[in-house]
Amino acid sequence: MKSPIISRRGLIQTGLLGLGGLALPLNALSQSNASIVIVGGGFGGASAGRTLKDLLPSAEITLIEANANYTACPFSNLVIATERPLSAQEFSYDRLQAAGISIISARATSVDASGQIVELQDGSQVPYDRLILSPGVDMRWGALEGYSQEAAERHPHAWKAGAQTQLLRDQLVALEDGENVVMTVPPAPYRCPPGPYERASMIAHYLKTNRPRSKLIILDAKDSFSKMALFQEAWAEHYPDHLEWRGALDDGAVSRVDANLKTVYTDFDELSAAVINVIPPQKAGQIADAAGVSDQTGWCPIDPLSFESKLQPKVHVIGDATIAAPMPKSAFSANLQAKVCAFAVARLLSDLEPIATTLANTCYSYTTPDEAISIAGVYSNVGGQLSSVSGAGGVSPLNGDKAVRQAEAAQAAHWFQTITNEAFG
Amino acid sequence: MPNQRAWSVLGSLSLLGLAACGGADGPQQSQNVEQSTGKASLLATACSGCHSDVSTGIASLQGYSVEALQLSLSNYKSDAEGTTVMHRLARGYSETDIALISQYLGAEDLE
Repeated sequence: MKSPIISRRGLIQTGLLGLGGLALPLNALSQSNASIVIVGGGFGGASAGRTLKDLLPSAEITLIEANANYTACPFSNLVIATERPLSAQEFSYDRLQAAGISIISARATSVDASGQIVELQDGSQVPYDRLILSPGVDMRWGALEGYSQEAAERHPHAWKAGAQTQLLRDQLVALEDGENVVMTVPPAPYRCPPGPYERASMIAHYLKTNRPRSKLIILDAKDSFSKMALFQEAWAEHYPDHLEWRGALDDGAVSRVDANLKTVYTDFDELSAAVINVIPPQKAGQIADAAGVSDQTGWCPIDPLSFESKLQPKVHVIGDATIAAPMPKSAFSANLQAKVCAFAVARLLSDLEPIATTLANTCYSYTTPDEAISIAGVYSNVGGQLSSVSGAGGVSPLNGDKAVRQAEAAQAAHWFQTITNEAFG
Repeated sequence: MPNQRAWSVLGSLSLLGLAACGGADGPQQSQNVEQSTGKASLLATACSGCHSDVSTGIASLQGYSVEALQLSLSNYKSDAEGTTVMHRLARGYSETDIALISQYLGAEDLE
């Protein structure tokens, strides 16, 4: 289904047309005709599409996604460390299509929220009754002096999985023993709060194993980070000679990058390295700006009951692009927000009010290729805001023995299989 | 059950006793949505982010009675010394939530 023109196939397939439209009450007819358009085929968008197709089998569900395949970020740090092939991160939309979801392989460029129309790059228009945006993040080009899209081709961010992941992996493999790697970490919020530190662990593991005279230096704009004590415990145990972390108080905040000189600058220091991995400041994916659902922060305020935008009616936003703190910008969050949003959209299209629930998040991070640590959180969405349920959540125990870390690594692998299956399988 | 999706979908259908139901008329479909998107299914949809129909690193929730699930979740919640992900998560759910989730996921026969 490549045509942006909404077809009647869904109706015909479910046999509703065969029942005879005249026999159906008006509200059921409008419900079965509902067009739900989703922009962005990551964990959020794909999960939303599948859930909606389950809940409203006769609705017309359309997913607009520019890329033919999805390349998942979770576990991509293992790819960088050569512990996993990039192909293990790639997922097609074939199963979504087989489930009756129309896939439009195109870039959505704008949204007319009052006219309820999404416009595509080729100028064609896709009308909707409800729109769900799951645009992920875009880099805030220009926020870090000297780090442009062109610079990213030489000094990868690898904060969107795919070619950037491969580039960083290739650069790591090409490193001469004794040459160093620098990683820069932006201020919060950004996609996957513990991600930089898992990546640091994986790069340090690679260096320790393959380039023992080399070292990773992390320049961080923050003084504390997710699972900090656990990561530092693991680093002291496994990578005392291969990883150095500098927080903001230790002049870690990077203010400028010179791509030609392979140098990054802090307030008082400059560091040159053979490999520079710049994780730049981020914002909601571009379509959020075009749709008018992002605010001055660059992220999207939402009603946590339905994930409907606070700025545009009938437009919902899920995943990394949202302001959903204390829920982190994670694949687990995107998947669960997608399901909660889909339930709410199904209710709204059936003249039912969305209802409050309890949400959760779990994030695993590898510290070695066979050991992991985790953070969990539980959240309520009552009273117009998301808030952490007190007494719940938290991180893995400190001083956990190897069996505990290995068990969480096995859980992480199982989680990845489950959540990618729920979204794409 | 071939995969996780079939499990979650059939789980919700079997709760409603609608496994054989195809197209529906308006009021019934609206009622279906009311139940399939109600409190219990909304709470339980968090579980399928990690739990599938196979047990490798994480246990499958299939084949457990309502009582067994409820006891297990309550034990996770009340075990103050527990450090696993499930201990940390269960502490965020009320006993009422746990009962609803257990009744939803503990559907006796998924057919």
